[in-house]
Amino acid sequence: MVSALWENIFRRNSTDVVRGTLSRNLLFRELSRGELRFVMDIVHVREYRPGEKVFSQGEVGVGMYIIVKGAVDILVEDLSSPHDGRKKDIHIARLSKDDFFGELSLIEDNGRRNASAVAHEDTQLIGFFKPDLMEILERNPHIGAKVVYRLAEVLGQRLIKTTENIAELRKEIQKLTEKGETV
Amino acid sequence: MRNNRIRLLTVLAVLILSFWIILKVDNLLLSLVLAFVIYYLLSPLVSYLERKGLSRAISTTVLYGLTLTLMTGLVVWLFPVISNQVNALKLELPRYIEGISALVFSTESRVNEFLNSVYTIDISQELRAKMFSWASVLFEGLPGFAQNFLSVTVLAPFFAFFMLLDGRQASRNLLALVPNNFFEMALHLLHQLGEQMGHFIRARLLEALIVGLVVWGGLALIDFRFAALFALFAALTNLIPYVGPLIGAVPAVALAVLNGSSSVDLFFLLLVYGVAQLVDIVFIIPLVVAKIVNLHPVTVVIVIIIGAQLMGVLGMIISIPVASALKLVLSSIFTHVIDFRR
Repeated sequence: MVSALWENIFRRNSTDVVRGTLSRNLLFRELSRGELRFVMDIVHVREYRPGEKVFSQGEVGVGMYIIVKGAVDILVEDLSSPHDGRKKDIHIARLSKDDFFGELSLIEDNGRRNASAVAHEDTQLIGFFKPDLMEILERNPHIGAKVVYRLAEVLGQRLIKTTENIAELRKEIQKLTEKGETV
Repeated sequence: MRNNRIRLLTVLAVLILSFWIILKVDNLLLSLVLAFVIYYLLSPLVSYLERKGLSRAISTTVLYGLTLTLMTGLVVWLFPVISNQVNALKLELPRYIEGISALVFSTESRVNEFLNSVYTIDISQELRAKMFSWASVLFEGLPGFAQNFLSVTVLAPFFAFFMLLDGRQASRNLLALVPNNFFEMALHLLHQLGEQMGHFIRARLLEALIVGLVVWGGLALIDFRFAALFALFAALTNLIPYVGPLIGAVPAVALAVLNGSSSVDLFFLLLVYGVAQLVDIVFIIPLVVAKIVNLHPVTVVIVIIIGAQLMGVLGMIISIPVASALKLVLSSIFTHVIDFRR
């Protein structure tokens, strides 16, 4: 009885943590408590050990992950590494609590992951996948529209940032070319 | 990782045990197939009611109440018609068997005359006895069949109700057991299988319904006996790919031949079945069915034969969706696990 009580309290705490993470996320921020409860019945909470892969580069991606606790390393294959079978990875970023990744897979059709994600420590993630988004749109389009609008906003911001990065890289290349011509 | 291996083994054990129980327990497979049919038919309507603001439990209960009332009405209306026609057929069957025997006997005599004692064929007497024994087995077996049918008709809606109510939660619970490295693949696969099965079942039932209605209307128009019974038979056999439509036409054509119908009547009868198949081939299959199951015709024939060998008529009906599900599983495993490693 006592252990059941503890288990219940623990589960409630864990549910509160997941709800808190969802309510802070850009995609679900505008949802009411009731709407969040609806989403919580659809998303998937997964646990990862240190070093365990969340997904690998080149794999077909199905959705995004939000970090509830722990940290995740984002790695890409080093294309300049020697072709001796042992591929090296370049560390791109370390994501922590409340960060999210893989959201492009929510709208891509059979798109492949362009980086790998590996748990850095004991990590809890919320998985939100394309079938889940479809289910929300099918069963409650009002919530679905809010989520899709926010998703479009996130992807738009990423696109702007990528365009800015490309512009900066172009400038760098131009500078280097000019330097080379002068020398 | 050890944890992942244990999870994978647990999922596989649960799946294998479930399949074993389904195959071993009487009527369970048929009940589940029917339950899935009901589930996939009602699921879009439950979602529609949910979109209108009702909870899933209320949506499911309301829809179930409406469907049960509708089905009861349909059975009350249709049962006496079918039952009268079955009874009439039962009374007239000996006459038809005598007719078939006479037909075979006259053909046999002509062949024997032609062979001129080189070889004597004698099958008519044996065939007559066999047909009487088949007929008695068919009608004596009807109460047993009705009993099985009754248990299936109670179990299937019961299963379907809980599938509609808690099915998503149950599949989420099963997915929770899947190891992390297979999780995305399993989730995607389950979603695709659900979509494919849903489209397939709805399309095939729509197809059977339209074929049945066209046959019923046509037979009623040419004033052919047992129209409702033959239409029901044509609709059900139409679920069997390729050979189904032919099997569906056989009893009515045989009856017309035995009754000595004129060639004009026979032409109109064949026209009714021809039009039903034309509607099926020209409109329903290209628009509704073809895009759902992407299997080569040779594969279709092979899987139907395998289905028939393993499970008879039920095997023939479910062989195509099972084969397309297997194709989806294998291609998904290939894409997720093998292809990306290259």
